[in-house]
Amino acid sequence: MSERIGVYVCHCGTNIAGVVNVAEVSQWAGEKLAESGVVVSRDYKFMCSSLGQELIQKDIKEMGLTRVVVAACSPHLHEATFRNACKGAGLNPYLCELVSIREQDSWVHTDKVAATEKAKAIISGGVARVTYHEPLEPLHVPIHPDTLVVGGGIAGIQAALEIADAGFHVYLVEREPSIGGHMAQFDKTFPTLDCSACILTPKMVQVGNHPNITLLTWSEVTKVDGYVGNFEVTIKKRARFINEDLCTGCGICQEKCPKKVIDDVFEAGLDTRKVVYTPFPQAVPNYPVLDAPNCTFFLKGTCKACEKFCPTGAIDFNQKDEDITVQVGNIILATGFDLFDARRIPQYGYGRLANVYTSLEFERLCNASGPTGGNIVLRDGKTAPKSVGIVHCVGSRDQNYNPYCSAICCMQSLKFAHLVHERTGAEVYNFYIDIRTPSKGYEEFYQRLLEEGTHFVRGKVAEVTDAARQSGEDGKLIIQVEDTLIGKQRRIPVDMVILSAGLEARHDAKEVGKLFGIACSADSWYIERHPKLDPVATMTEGIFIAGCAQGPKDIPASVVQGAAASARVMGKIQQKEVSLEPVRATVDQDRCSGCRICNNLCPFSAILFHEDTMVSEVNPALCQGCGTCVAACPAGAISGTGFSDEQILAQIEGLLLLNVKHLELVPG
Amino acid sequence: MTAELSFSKEINNLMYASHGKPIKDCLQCGVCSGTCPAVEFMDHSPRELIGMIGADLKGDVLASNTFWSCASCFHCTVRCPAGIDIADMMYALKRYSIWKGQYQEGLIGPDFSEGFVKMIVNSGRSFEPILAVTYLPKFSARDLIQEAITATGLVLKGQMPLLPKKIKRLKNFQQMVRRIIPIGGTS
Amino acid sequence: MKPYAYFPGCSLESLAKSYHLSAIEVAQELGVELKEIEDWNCCGATAYFPVDELLAYTLVARNLAIAEKEGFLDFVAPCSGCYKNAYFTNAYLQKDQDLAEHINYALEADNLHFEGTMRVRHLIEVFIDDVGLDEIEKKVSHPLKGLRVAPYYGCQLVRPRKDDEDVENPQFFEGLLSAIGAEPVEYASKTRCCGGSLIITNRKAALDMVHKLLKDAAYSHTDVIATTCPMCNVNLEVYQNQVNQEFGTNFSIPVMYFTQIMGMALGIQPGRLGIGKELVYGATLRNM
Repeated sequence: MSERIGVYVCHCGTNIAGVVNVAEVSQWAGEKLAESGVVVSRDYKFMCSSLGQELIQKDIKEMGLTRVVVAACSPHLHEATFRNACKGAGLNPYLCELVSIREQDSWVHTDKVAATEKAKAIISGGVARVTYHEPLEPLHVPIHPDTLVVGGGIAGIQAALEIADAGFHVYLVEREPSIGGHMAQFDKTFPTLDCSACILTPKMVQVGNHPNITLLTWSEVTKVDGYVGNFEVTIKKRARFINEDLCTGCGICQEKCPKKVIDDVFEAGLDTRKVVYTPFPQAVPNYPVLDAPNCTFFLKGTCKACEKFCPTGAIDFNQKDEDITVQVGNIILATGFDLFDARRIPQYGYGRLANVYTSLEFERLCNASGPTGGNIVLRDGKTAPKSVGIVHCVGSRDQNYNPYCSAICCMQSLKFAHLVHERTGAEVYNFYIDIRTPSKGYEEFYQRLLEEGTHFVRGKVAEVTDAARQSGEDGKLIIQVEDTLIGKQRRIPVDMVILSAGLEARHDAKEVGKLFGIACSADSWYIERHPKLDPVATMTEGIFIAGCAQGPKDIPASVVQGAAASARVMGKIQQKEVSLEPVRATVDQDRCSGCRICNNLCPFSAILFHEDTMVSEVNPALCQGCGTCVAACPAGAISGTGFSDEQILAQIEGLLLLNVKHLELVPG
Repeated sequence: MTAELSFSKEINNLMYASHGKPIKDCLQCGVCSGTCPAVEFMDHSPRELIGMIGADLKGDVLASNTFWSCASCFHCTVRCPAGIDIADMMYALKRYSIWKGQYQEGLIGPDFSEGFVKMIVNSGRSFEPILAVTYLPKFSARDLIQEAITATGLVLKGQMPLLPKKIKRLKNFQQMVRRIIPIGGTS
Repeated sequence: MKPYAYFPGCSLESLAKSYHLSAIEVAQELGVELKEIEDWNCCGATAYFPVDELLAYTLVARNLAIAEKEGFLDFVAPCSGCYKNAYFTNAYLQKDQDLAEHINYALEADNLHFEGTMRVRHLIEVFIDDVGLDEIEKKVSHPLKGLRVAPYYGCQLVRPRKDDEDVENPQFFEGLLSAIGAEPVEYASKTRCCGGSLIITNRKAALDMVHKLLKDAAYSHTDVIATTCPMCNVNLEVYQNQVNQEFGTNFSIPVMYFTQIMGMALGIQPGRLGIGKELVYGATLRNM
């Protein structure tokens, strides 16, 4: 071996040194691994400190080291640190290998003698391996300055505006006819009780008018190809049957349309809409949409009232879906949430007992442009309730449904309580397990509700029934619950029950995630790169997530995530190019038999197949170096730069101390 | 050095076959007690009892009539958001209680269960009138009279069994029982 | 159709004889062959688990092993208590090798061995799933038009949860009642407990539970409560008088086994269904 290897063993304070005898290990490496190329072996208290790094740099310069092995913590933490240190001293960073004697040794063993021997073996493995490392250069790919934002709710709107205001172009794709998302359905927002539409619509209008935003509503992404900096996205613009160039948004078509259907999206099923419609008055864009599956013309060939009355001739029954392809450098997914289906809890009576409402239904009830003009009345449309029960944790914090807490329902329930107090004289009961009011102004909001005379009953509601058993219960909905703070089972008759249903991931989140190549957790929320320190990035370079798509959160947090994702994107755009880790798989085309087993196995769709030469090729920009194809290839034609077969086999031999002469056998 | 088991762990160990979730997972939400049809007749609600177990109040728990008033309808179990099998826990408490011989005075449950077990071991089948001795003495006068009226009605309608039955392979059956719990030759 | 291992259970031979009679009659009419297993023992109901868990499972396992030995693939119990015990014993023993070993050691004393090859069914399940509602409807000769029946599932038929079924608002009993031409009512307490053995061990509690059940049945204007378990039937019917005494009510709601009601719809003579032995006998039924 003509390599000159430096070994550096870190104490990591007492994290490693408390279990592993680092001085002994360092000395052993210097002696026993000398034949493997080790010319210097040191130990130091904190290798990651600037002094520790300088140690390495000094040795590289003065001793002409050609390889470095650092035995310390996990590469997840400091691989970059030590690689940069080597780079700073003029050694290719990929000639530095970090082996973990902390997470894989000192932190998991208590037997000091055995742990010390293990550390020696680990280092020996590292030394054997690093001999086969080659200098590598990271890949540089240019970044397209356009961005795609998927989802026009508050998070997506915020992200789009930030990027557009900074001077970069954004495509904002939204599945519904208008942007606004769930926030557009609300009446008031907590804790300020701002009117939701009043704070949302200015942003929506900005998006609609922004010269840097191409707004594509009533559209969906159907295909994503490419990689960070160079995505090619196909978007299906569904036919609105309205010619946008001619439509003035006057609304006559909507007025004249003779057919009504239940609006189960925006009005949560509480009201009807016309077949040609805009979902709500402040819709952006203001062009209506024609619901073809319910349209009399498409079903039976008659009517066409909208066309007859349209003053500009903007109705076009021949319009077709259009597929457009765009190039973008980065993508932000802000697709929002779906509400838990309260019918899954039959004992709460939703769907069976008329005056049981879900949270979204109640929002529409309170909203001035909703089905009752903002009056809180029962399903008969006229009677005001004299008592209202609000049930927290419906479908959340429950192993039988969703185990997580939906973050916003406590505040939402308090908000509902307040609205009931404000608009009716009704008695209000909130049934909770815990009151979760963590953010600014939230606990104060709870205090306010206490002052307003809300009856707080601590108990998870057992059932809601209409079967009256005693006087006072006739014609009421009876909530049966244990009032845990007084230890008694109570039956509380009310006129109206509101179920604060939990938030769930969009029901097609998995499929959409697959389109973009990002993963979902068990609960179908998109997985962030790091739950604490990197909540808006994903494991796929160039794809970010924001808002409730990442997990339940309130509006301020959604706005923050939208802004954070946009900042990351803009950072990337400013850099003009991105450098990718060169640890990748490569196909030896001479050995490839064209069996294509690797093509479908690749979780990142990074392997192309050349029909003409009948061989596969790995796209280095998409490849994340997971090694699946390397293992699967029956011809052994694929190897990994940075994890070649040679390197791995050498490491194994090193671990088994086969490279060490005069093995010392430790008793016991 | 023997590790002392917490009361909660002791009870969990008696919930064998169902491989139940640990009682300490309880978040005290109260849905069990809100659901329980017999809670008004319990001196502590199921939720309270679980709290007491967690607080190691063994004496108070065993002195309670809660688990003896459990009808094992399992409604609490299916609704518990922490996935705890509460009805099974009630059975475990009964078993613990009988094992230690520690329970509230005047309860019918313990004697009834033990009487039932003896009856089955003796004949392999159940015969209601035999069981009467385990509970009638504890009935109030009013209840006794009511029971007499009900019983008469049943006899007149031919619904009351008049003769006990025995299974054929009783000897084997008793051997089988002895392989699980050691009982005397004749009980 | 293949024969089913029939496990009547202790009550069907005494207090619930009419259930046994009507079950056999209806099964015969629908072509379901119920063969009683030999030398079965009491399943232990809810009285064994308070004493010893392992012994409780052993008692049930003996019956399962007997049925397996006789070559049956389906073990049918008409009593919900027996059904619940059998179902879960069967399930636990199939899943847990250690438990099965321990219990098999005991079963050896009676030359039996639990294999885990059977399915445990409730009688109502067999009629609904195996015979099918269409078949049953075809055989109905006296559709019970206008008879408002409360489908009282009770607790042990649906709980503990077995798999993905709806334990809070099951509809299969309503389906069966509709198929025989009756009118199933919205019964708020259809899966609430009748008190079971609390009628002995804590009579006050049980009577209160029965009271609530009767109240909810009255609220739905019920003509007759249909039951699937002898314990439920006894508590609701035999003790209805005592409930009236205790709570000052005057309930007079007939309570019958679902097989008796099915039998009537299928045109079987009431006498053969054990009808006439109840303590509460409603006028409506007299007119059927």
